[in-house]
Amino acid sequence: MLHELPLVIFTIAAQMSAGSFIVLGLIHLLGAKVPQETMDRVTDPALYAVGPLLVLGMAASTLHLGSPLRAANSLLHLGGSWLSAEIFAGSAFAGLGAVFAFLQWKKLGPHVLRQVLAVLTAAVGAFLVFAISQVYSLRTVPAWATYFTPVRFFITALLLGGLAVGAALVIAAQRREAKGVETPEAAALVGRSVRGIALGGLFGLGAKYIGQPAYIGYLGTHPEQAARESLDLLVNTYGVYSAAQNILTFAGIAALFFMLYRMADGNAGKRLMPTAAIVAFVLVLAGEVIGRMLFYASMVRIGV
Amino acid sequence: MAKQLAFYFDQTKCTGCKACVIACKDKHDLPVGVRWRRVAEYSGGLWLVDERTGTMTQDVFSYYTSYSCNHCDDPICVEACPSTAMRKGENGIVKVEPEICIGCKYCAMACPYSAPQFNEAKGVMTKCDFCSDRLAAGQTPACVAACPSRALDFGEVAELRAKYGAMASIEPLPAASVTKPNLVISPHHRAQVSGTGTGRIGNPKEI
Repeated sequence: MLHELPLVIFTIAAQMSAGSFIVLGLIHLLGAKVPQETMDRVTDPALYAVGPLLVLGMAASTLHLGSPLRAANSLLHLGGSWLSAEIFAGSAFAGLGAVFAFLQWKKLGPHVLRQVLAVLTAAVGAFLVFAISQVYSLRTVPAWATYFTPVRFFITALLLGGLAVGAALVIAAQRREAKGVETPEAAALVGRSVRGIALGGLFGLGAKYIGQPAYIGYLGTHPEQAARESLDLLVNTYGVYSAAQNILTFAGIAALFFMLYRMADGNAGKRLMPTAAIVAFVLVLAGEVIGRMLFYASMVRIGV
Repeated sequence: MAKQLAFYFDQTKCTGCKACVIACKDKHDLPVGVRWRRVAEYSGGLWLVDERTGTMTQDVFSYYTSYSCNHCDDPICVEACPSTAMRKGENGIVKVEPEICIGCKYCAMACPYSAPQFNEAKGVMTKCDFCSDRLAAGQTPACVAACPSRALDFGEVAELRAKYGAMASIEPLPAASVTKPNLVISPHHRAQVSGTGTGRIGNPKEI
């Protein structure tokens, strides 16, 4: 199950950071009426967590190279190799994100300019997730060369990104409250954002549930022997891990549902929010990591 | 000068002795675990039931396939390679530039013939280069020269196909449509076409 561990870390970290950036963008977009100062106060702490995460992932990815000192050569086949596109998109996303975070931190430049930069960074992040999915859509690997791969990667990005942002927002809000600097507007924005994220997360986890039997059906009916070997790995050899992934998906749904249920209670439920948000994130993260390990472990190529 | 070199393999003559594998390892001084040429044993079979006499007869088969890099017309390794270290050059030979390769192993993930092989000590991918140095000296590739049953040969692909036909889609190899290999096979009389196989590889740890 420990196949390609550096790549498990890289793809999860890259997708989570891209997803976080996109979710933060959505919060800005949907909360356009919220005063700028409040919005920045609530969302900036989460923004600063995205960069280190991506850098960690990119650093991990060099661990699987035989000649890591020449890692920059991976950009030489841009336009031909999806792997080059992936590395380029990852670097561009990291660079743009760093510039944006710095401008946002120092509040440099006009607000509109920063917004344009944020939209551009989010678009590059979305392209990064797509590029990663195309790297694995090799026509010689039936278990990967399917639209399930990009769908699965985008779900991972938005799920992990959303829940990470949700946990970060709640923790930052709790800190502000402890210092006695929380405003009612900020608290309301956090509440709305977390509700939206929890609801979106339920849809994402639901999509995973629906996708699972469809994917198993795809593998089972594929004409290539390699597809059935992948299926055998998923269902028999690593069946315990597949089961664990499904249980964690369900536990994630339960945690998000519990959160929404408590929030409907008004103030009484708010005390539990940080714990529930972190538990939900950790459960879903664990499920996604196991899922990604299974993704690599079930790789069977056609031929010899 | 050839435009596109190809290997020819006569499946009816191969005894599975693996002299080609060893000659290749010796010529290129390959470490343990790195094989630029491999021999797969493909075997299967069933019982034929004669209802009339109530008897059963075994109908088993087994044949060998010696294969290396096939220097494909549509080389998925070249397409996948992020560093351009993998390239198709003179005589249509696909080679790795060791000074450029970063050792990401993505080519090995993609190639359905397991042609690119990672050399742990060198930190880069390595593969069959058609014994370019021997060719330049007017010699045949080491594997071809070593085969005791003369099952291996090489030449210009167009000439080989004119002489032996264009078959390369034989189990357990992938269908030729995937990467368009420059490989010509004279099939064993029990050979199965790629995708219709009923057997399995008998020596998975040797290939």
